Amino acid sequence: MRAGGLAFVAALLLAACSQDGGRKPARASDTLHIYNWSDYIDPALLADFTKRTGVKVVYDTFDSNEVLETKVLQGDTGYDLVVPSNNNVARYIQAGAIEPLDRARLAGLDKLDATIMAHMAPFDPGAKYTVPYMWGTVGIGYNVDAVAKRLPGVKIDSWAIAFDPKSLAKLKDCGVYFLDASEDMFATALNFLGKDPNSKSAADYQAATDLLLAARPYVRKFHSSEYVDALANGDICLAIGYSGDVLQAKARADEAKNGVKIAYAIPKEGGQIWFDVFVTPKGAPNPDAAYKFLNFMLEPATIARASNFTKYANANAAATPLLDAEVRDNPNIYPPPEIAGRLFVTTAKDQALLRDVNRRWTQVLTGQ
Amino acid sequence: MKRRSLAAIAPYLWLLAFFLFPFLLVAKLSLSDQALAMPPYAPRLDLAAGVAGIASFLKALDLETYLRLASDRLYLVSYLSSLKFAAVGTVILLLIGYPMAYGMSRFPPAGRQALLMAVILPFWTSFLIRIYAWVAILKPQGLLNAALQGLGLPALSILNTETAVYLGLVYAYLPFMVLPLYAVLERQDPSLMEAAADLGASPLQAFWRVTFPISMPGVAAGALLCFIPMVGEFVIPDLLGGPGTLTLGRTLWTEFFANRDWPAASAVAIVMLVTLVAPLVFLQRRASTLAAAS
Amino acid sequence: MTSRQSLGAVRSSFAPWADPTATPLVRFEAVTKRFGAETAVKSVSLDIYEREFFALLGPSGCGKTTLMRMLAGFETPDEGRVTLEGQDLAGLPPHQRPLHMMFQSYALFPHLSVERNIAFGLQRQGLAKAEISDRVAEMLALVRLEGLARRKPDQLSGGQRQRVALARALAPRPKVLLLDEPLGALDRKLREETQFELMALQQRLGMTFLVVTHDQEEAMVMADRIAVMRAGEIVQTGPPPEVYEAPNCRYVADFIGEVNLFEGQVETADGRLVRLSSPVCPQGLEAAEDDPLPKSAAAWFAVRPEKMVLHPTPPPPGPNLMQGKVADIGYLGDWTTYVVEVAGGQTVRAARANAARVVENPVDWGDTVWLTFARDAAVVLSR
Ligand SMILES: Nc1ncnc2c1ncn2[C@@H]1O[C@H](COP(=O)(O)OP(=O)(O)OP(=O)(O)O)[C@@H](O)[C@H]1O
Ligand SMILES: [Mg+2]
Repeated sequence: MRAGGLAFVAALLLAACSQDGGRKPARASDTLHIYNWSDYIDPALLADFTKRTGVKVVYDTFDSNEVLETKVLQGDTGYDLVVPSNNNVARYIQAGAIEPLDRARLAGLDKLDATIMAHMAPFDPGAKYTVPYMWGTVGIGYNVDAVAKRLPGVKIDSWAIAFDPKSLAKLKDCGVYFLDASEDMFATALNFLGKDPNSKSAADYQAATDLLLAARPYVRKFHSSEYVDALANGDICLAIGYSGDVLQAKARADEAKNGVKIAYAIPKEGGQIWFDVFVTPKGAPNPDAAYKFLNFMLEPATIARASNFTKYANANAAATPLLDAEVRDNPNIYPPPEIAGRLFVTTAKDQALLRDVNRRWTQVLTGQ
Repeated sequence: MKRRSLAAIAPYLWLLAFFLFPFLLVAKLSLSDQALAMPPYAPRLDLAAGVAGIASFLKALDLETYLRLASDRLYLVSYLSSLKFAAVGTVILLLIGYPMAYGMSRFPPAGRQALLMAVILPFWTSFLIRIYAWVAILKPQGLLNAALQGLGLPALSILNTETAVYLGLVYAYLPFMVLPLYAVLERQDPSLMEAAADLGASPLQAFWRVTFPISMPGVAAGALLCFIPMVGEFVIPDLLGGPGTLTLGRTLWTEFFANRDWPAASAVAIVMLVTLVAPLVFLQRRASTLAAAS
Repeated sequence: MTSRQSLGAVRSSFAPWADPTATPLVRFEAVTKRFGAETAVKSVSLDIYEREFFALLGPSGCGKTTLMRMLAGFETPDEGRVTLEGQDLAGLPPHQRPLHMMFQSYALFPHLSVERNIAFGLQRQGLAKAEISDRVAEMLALVRLEGLARRKPDQLSGGQRQRVALARALAPRPKVLLLDEPLGALDRKLREETQFELMALQQRLGMTFLVVTHDQEEAMVMADRIAVMRAGEIVQTGPPPEVYEAPNCRYVADFIGEVNLFEGQVETADGRLVRLSSPVCPQGLEAAEDDPLPKSAAAWFAVRPEKMVLHPTPPPPGPNLMQGKVADIGYLGDWTTYVVEVAGGQTVRAARANAARVVENPVDWGDTVWLTFARDAAVVLSR
């Protein structure tokens, strides 16, 4: 879900030069190629998988959905499994870029949490193509002391703190970051305005644009990953960000013992829930190995270890008791039911709407 | 004879392989339409259908994308903004790079090598890392403000402003400006300056009447070497610029990655190439024919 | 030589250096210049007078250019001073000195056309446009480059470039024109032509020229006076005939033209005649000389080859007679040079003008010959 990588230059070249795809090299049958977000798996898990199955894992990483999607839509990725976010999956399916899964070959699907899986239905009805890996939310990360100093007595429980110019004006000097992610930001703004986060109405988007434009003068930067360090170092006091990233910032600040206290909040208006899921690109060289790996990841013990490492929640109900208490009992990872009930998921947009949203986002960013 | 003719066409083969062919691919892409497919555009050339396939392929190409570029001011504004960054950047680079190259070329030869090394040295580290280093320097709690604080001066907030973009551009492109300038200045016969002084030119007059005009090829080379890539620069404005920093590179990024509109991204690239490179090639042609004629 | 003599005849009365009341235009006063440990110019004193054509002559690396560059202002003397019209030039930057230099390398501005090169100094003087173009046209005519006004230096031949450099230095009418090896790059014929052009020019414009050269013939042809330099020092200054006929040391005698040097010990020196004992000459050497020399001191007689007389048959015995074998014959058309090996292994050169087309009893390789010289043909040197 984290975006804003720079590897796009390479991707551009790739797209320009390999019109019809570089022929994929022959892959050994005992090798599995995985393309996942960076820092997103416990390396010990991969070693255990190889020990158990004899399948070697070649593990590459990316740091933006855009780069991944460009690669997958180009075709001939050479990967057996890639990990896109839910927003992108619908397009993959429509474009025919990923293979449907043979559910008969997957064990343990029944242990997946039904409420969580319901959120996935708009993208992948019947979970024909995807197996969930991790999920998280979009909320507010903030520097507890710095915000308390500027907004004394204010409880950080509403998006108003991040969108209302009056409160933003007080925070401007110490720094506010927004995600540079058009769909996530518009969904969040629509939700705050009490509109359908998946609205298709131009008027709704105009209202959201106005809201964001009003907030813009107080935003130091729109970026999808820099806020992690910025929060941790105490450079900024508030960011709209992804749950895991904010927790990572908190961990870094605690580790550095720099006196910066970071907290994360899912406001009372609710927040977006997102998923990163395993899919098999069309033409995957070694689908058998992919099934072996998916089955491995569907084991509650395995996915619990994965969550302990990433500090993100997983969708496996049977894994929850196996989690470290620190993860399981953290309301920012596993929100309590009253908050979980307010989470919403965004649906895929058609091309025209997507273009409109991105154009509006450019307007928010640049005033043009 | 065969060998000679091969040598004669080698540069054209090179151009064909590394410039014209990719250019045509991108040009073709810019005439296509966006599609939800793999890859995400249509039409695709179906060679199996023979001539009919090619005909229907050609028929499906259109200028729709270009019309859209013309209808939204965003593209023009971001192009002009990129041109502005590149132009101002080039002027600043000249103002900084020229005295640097001049000083280097007047240094004792032994020291010159060391200075030259110092100019080239940054190339040994990754470009991205060097720009990130500027983030670390300019950020609010960064090195710059720590130093200012140590001196008892007020903190500056430069990161995510146009100032930071110019800083980054100047920093990253300085070697490209200094090296060609140094090359012409170093070659310049020092007795020319003496001759100018001898004929009554003050040091300043000697510089403007002799040194500078003679170094014009270096100025032109340095300016082109910096200006053209700066127009298309993405990384520096993205990392150091603010949310309002609009550049062609960012617009291209949005088209390609966020909108998945490969035809639009290609069209933007083609427009940039044609409006930027074509006049420059023309100017250079003219300059060389003028030189040959005189 | 002939042309020079005719020119010399016109200027025969020109000798300001001999006039104690004349004030020099340029004056070097005990000027020393060092480069690190090396002394390029050692305590040089030199006076150059208005309208004089002065040549600095010496071997490569003897400090000629350095001396000239101190006058132009490109080098600063470590000791002594340089004056122009009695005014100390110290601290005056090159561009404020009213003298121009024609560089050894020409140093033409490659980006400017011939006419704009020539106009460069005029523009610096702030002359009016019309005047500049008149003066440029005049200079182009002078150096006969009218048709090439719009060419760039790299489209010119070496000789044409040299003329442009000359015109450029001349155009602003400097008080003193410094020419550093002005003709070095030219072929012999063009060089001789240009030598006379330069002299005519200098006469016509009434300017003062200081020419650096290491070509002694060139210096002899052009200059009113020559200064011979050696390792940073001036060893002799004088008009060409004086330097040629009355060198003050073996170095000058040897450097200007060809010379035979006979070494010996002073037997008698009575203020009229000097007698040396020498191994080459059984009856001894004699020369007319006014200055007395201490007895038994080492001394040298310098005799030019054209002043040696070659005898195919033995002449009557007497002083200044030596016998030897012809080792080499050099035919130069107008002259023939004979190299004769005499007693003690010394080689002596004798030149004979080829007055007739066919010479009877020609002298051949290996022949025994006799050489003599007149008493007043020898210059007596004590160093
Ligand atoms: N800039 C300098 N630095 C160090 N040494 C120098 C410099 N200029 C001249 N010299 C030295 O001073 C001495 C005199 O040099 P100069 O150029 O005056 O000789 P020159 O008589 O003009 O010789 P040439 O006939 O070869 O031109 C030489 O030994 C030279 O190496
Ligand atoms: Mg010299």
